[in-house]
Amino acid sequence: MSSAEVELPAFPAVARDAGSAAFFDAAARGVLLVQRCTSCATVLTPEARTCLSCGSVDLDAAEAAGLGRLVSWVVVRHAPIPALAGAVPYLSAVVELDEGPWLMVRLIEAGSAEIHADARVQVDFVRSGAEENTGELLPVFRLTASDVVSDVGPEVAEGSA
Amino acid sequence: MTSAAIAGLGITELGKVYGRSATSLAAEAVRLAAADAGLPLSAVDGLLVSSGNKQDVGIQLANVLSTGPLGVCATMNAFGATAGVMVASAAKAIAAREATTVACVFADAPLKPKESAGTAYGSPRFNSREIAGLGGWSLAGGAVNPNILYAMCARRHLERYGTTSEQLGAIAVAQRAWAAHNPLAAMRDPITIEDHQASRWIAEPLHLLDCCLVSNGAVAVIVTAGDRARDLEKPPVHVWGWGQAHEVRRMHAGSDWGLVTPAARSGPAALRMAGIGVDDVDIAELYDCYTYTVLVTLEDYGFCPKGEGGSYVEGGRLAPGGKLAVNTGGGQLSAYYMWGMTPLSEAVIQARGEGGARQAPRNDILMVSGNGGILEHHSTLVLSPHARELPAEVTA
Repeated sequence: MSSAEVELPAFPAVARDAGSAAFFDAAARGVLLVQRCTSCATVLTPEARTCLSCGSVDLDAAEAAGLGRLVSWVVVRHAPIPALAGAVPYLSAVVELDEGPWLMVRLIEAGSAEIHADARVQVDFVRSGAEENTGELLPVFRLTASDVVSDVGPEVAEGSA
Repeated sequence: MTSAAIAGLGITELGKVYGRSATSLAAEAVRLAAADAGLPLSAVDGLLVSSGNKQDVGIQLANVLSTGPLGVCATMNAFGATAGVMVASAAKAIAAREATTVACVFADAPLKPKESAGTAYGSPRFNSREIAGLGGWSLAGGAVNPNILYAMCARRHLERYGTTSEQLGAIAVAQRAWAAHNPLAAMRDPITIEDHQASRWIAEPLHLLDCCLVSNGAVAVIVTAGDRARDLEKPPVHVWGWGQAHEVRRMHAGSDWGLVTPAARSGPAALRMAGIGVDDVDIAELYDCYTYTVLVTLEDYGFCPKGEGGSYVEGGRLAPGGKLAVNTGGGQLSAYYMWGMTPLSEAVIQARGEGGARQAPRNDILMVSGNGGILEHHSTLVLSPHARELPAEVTA
């Protein structure tokens, strides 16, 4: 592999598009934007097109509290695609938000010894890309410190992990 | 009428077969299957076509083969569940008198010289240079290929039930022991649990030896009426039952994605149709894109209770000489990766008693699974060398 690939950022630069502008605007404010079904109020992933409870396609944007639990995770040591060459090793996880939806996200700053199913997690935001090619802020998750009381809400930090 | 039967099996050269299109391989497999049945190609009046991720074999295969008039002709794709779905569709078409002799074929040629298997099977969705929108966020999330997604499923089982990587390894070790006696198998050198544990991580908790091969090649079967198959060249393999079930990933609280698969509906349906129970099964040829797929399918089919798959596969139970003959040709882990045609082809060989040094001691009832998506699509066949009357509801 070339030296250029070694210097790739941990999070490839992600650009916004028309369908994701509100999501990334919210991320820039430290808010994780998901969706809520206008018919039955089920909270859904940002990507959902149909309510999995009632079948409605009328979905509104909704702010998630950013807290949840770990459903599953995988340790990836070899880049599965060139764009993730700067990311490895990384943790890819399924997180269940307290509001219900499951997100497939990066889990940052977690050592494998402390990870277990149902561990409490909270959202964080990292800048994608690097100096020359900076992208949007991306929602990621981290383990919630065991001494953090859940009713104080998520600690939202802006910046690069 | 009697059940439908598989009367012919055609397998091309498999593995690193370069310089041939998937369509050319498909045509050869159909010709071989017809010849195996002792039938001229002109006897084939039904054609069901399937191919790999690139979906690059179509019903133009009929033109390539210069078939005669066809009563049935279609491409089918239920991912790894396709082979079982094709055979069930052929059996139904024969019962409905739409066709008498249906060729079902799978062909794929993803491997290229000087390219890794992983690259050959990379997801086209994430190969684009532009990384944008919610899809870009998803890409950055890193769960970008089946290795990682199946590892996500396996991790749930490990966490929930205490299943271990060594128990997954027991599946790989048993299958390699079967493969040692399969001349079609790509990987025949015996392996140990230690080898499994020492093999590199592909996506932790999955090691290299938890993952299937990638192969070029094609496999076809000829399905016809059971009473007709009796008069043909090879011993018929009767189709006693079938099932399919599909359940897309539910990404929400309460989801059992990865822990319970549609096999839990498809398997019992096929057994019910066959009029037997899971304890009657002599040989299970189970779709094994990963070791974990075998474990979860054994549970969902009812070979053992949910959560006990890990201890069930220990102690050589699935290996030659074990209590249940599973993936007797080495499967996709050790022999060849032809999607659902891998377990189906080996089932036909075993049902005929043509397994040679790897022939299982009993072959009265065989159960064959297909699995696709990320444990989202499933098909089941129950096969036997013995004829059986079709239940009335199928012929009605």
